[in-house]
Amino acid sequence: MKKIIFKVLKVVLLALFLIAAIVPLYWVIVTSLKGNKEIYSYPIKYFPESPTLENYVYLFEVSNFGVYFRNSALVALVGSMGALLISTFSGYAISRLRKKRTKLLLILAMYFTQMIPTYMVMVPLFTMFASIGKTDNLLSLSLVYINMMIAFSTIMGKSFFDRIPVALEEAAMIDGCTPVQVISKVIIPLALPGISAIFSFSFINIWNELFLAVMLLSSESKMTIPVALNSFISKAGISWGVLSAGIVVALLPTIIVFAFAQRYIIMGLTEGAVKE
Amino acid sequence: MQRENGKYLYLIPALVFLGIFTYFPIVRGTIFAFQDYKLYNMSNIRFNGLENFKAIFTDPNFSFVQIIFNTAIWIFVSLFFQFMLGFVLALLMWKPFKGRGIYSGLVFYPWALSGFAIGLIWAWMFNGQFGLINDVLLKLHLIESNIGFLSDPKFAMISVIIINVWYGIPFFAIMILAALQSVPKELMDAAEIDGASPWKRLFSIIIPYIQPTIVSTTLLRVMWIMNFPEIIYATTGGGPSNATNILSTQMINKILKFYDYGQGSALGVIIMVILFTYAIFYLRLTSQGEENFG
Repeated sequence: MKKIIFKVLKVVLLALFLIAAIVPLYWVIVTSLKGNKEIYSYPIKYFPESPTLENYVYLFEVSNFGVYFRNSALVALVGSMGALLISTFSGYAISRLRKKRTKLLLILAMYFTQMIPTYMVMVPLFTMFASIGKTDNLLSLSLVYINMMIAFSTIMGKSFFDRIPVALEEAAMIDGCTPVQVISKVIIPLALPGISAIFSFSFINIWNELFLAVMLLSSESKMTIPVALNSFISKAGISWGVLSAGIVVALLPTIIVFAFAQRYIIMGLTEGAVKE
Repeated sequence: MQRENGKYLYLIPALVFLGIFTYFPIVRGTIFAFQDYKLYNMSNIRFNGLENFKAIFTDPNFSFVQIIFNTAIWIFVSLFFQFMLGFVLALLMWKPFKGRGIYSGLVFYPWALSGFAIGLIWAWMFNGQFGLINDVLLKLHLIESNIGFLSDPKFAMISVIIINVWYGIPFFAIMILAALQSVPKELMDAAEIDGASPWKRLFSIIIPYIQPTIVSTTLLRVMWIMNFPEIIYATTGGGPSNATNILSTQMINKILKFYDYGQGSALGVIIMVILFTYAIFYLRLTSQGEENFG
């Protein structure tokens, strides 16, 4: 009897967690499919009575969401590829360093930058790019994003490389591989799950980043999606329908990446990674 | 030896990036903290000693004591519920069941979402007029009239913390679920056969086994929550009347709303001092420095 009560309780609790997790996503999607009349009507409708895509049409035809989406995709891809490339090397190097003190120092230097929240450096970064006339530039922002993910990716990469035995590399060297070939032909294939985790992490974090982009970008044609959403909330006359549609477009890529890379992401998270 | 030097070469790109885009800006930012530096008064940038700090501590509109108090509440109340609920969820998901893979995707996905977008979604759900939450509570007869969750100073902090808890549950559930794999199954089975109650099993087997994970994730999470302004920025902006203002949102407001880079940077310095103090405390407390960094 006690066992049955426990089982029922368990199912009920699991269901409650599920509902709590899903409702906000459901609600933003439903709102994005309602016309203005339905959104601002009372009593509230839990399902759209006459679903419409007018909010999405507004996003892409009146507002420039196609451009924002392209900008976001550009900085997220350049940023996460760049960070991955750089930190594959640095993570590998730290993992294979033999000098204990240098190693500790480098790891601490990584953890230190990891501790500093990105918005902390947004003013100095802005003045730095302003002094060479490179604000409002997607390349500048991409460089900043590469940097934003380097420390984290290096730490994560190191912990993955730690598990690949050195003997494997030595064998490859004896077979005549150059050091770069050792990395590209031996290490990377073995570290592929780790690399997928690092890439997904960076992509998600960069895609979601708001404050650095707000600080560095000013013209409308350069905006990323978070910046555009931010400008929506200060703009009068943007309805919750359009805003909800914008949020759905903003969330979609991260949900897709999470769905495909969930295993790797969870592995990366629990691999002793510091930030989130 | 040559190979060891080659490894240092691999480090150069990463270190150059961090030097230019993190370390140098931190130094610059620290200098700004001691300057009168306002975007609308750029021709008059000059050192002003501790003026920025004085202004922050004595600001009549944004009581610093209240900001510190808010920050503490924000961190510890959020953390407590994130942890407790994450723990419960992890325990519920421990034993495999049909569809656990899909289930985990559906409850863990909030982890991947942007804090800013989540703030916006909940701002709409908490809306005082057309909000879903008011409507549900009214229908359940739990409230008699709509509540201005985000506009009423009495409710604002609770509301933003609820959002933060919702956002943080997956993180703890993922971490604890992974740690639970280290609890030996035979031990659990034996305890069950011996008739140990679920509580007893929880406190004398499960918790001792996963304690290192609990300690390190909660301690690290403190820093993370402290530096997570997106939700508050998207919902209340720190208002109404300073009720939800925390250190990080105040810093962002100073920069993005008041264009006062001097005071913003000074707040940054204050945050960094707190972070360092805390990091040292963390390393001492876990005393696994060697292990983690080796």
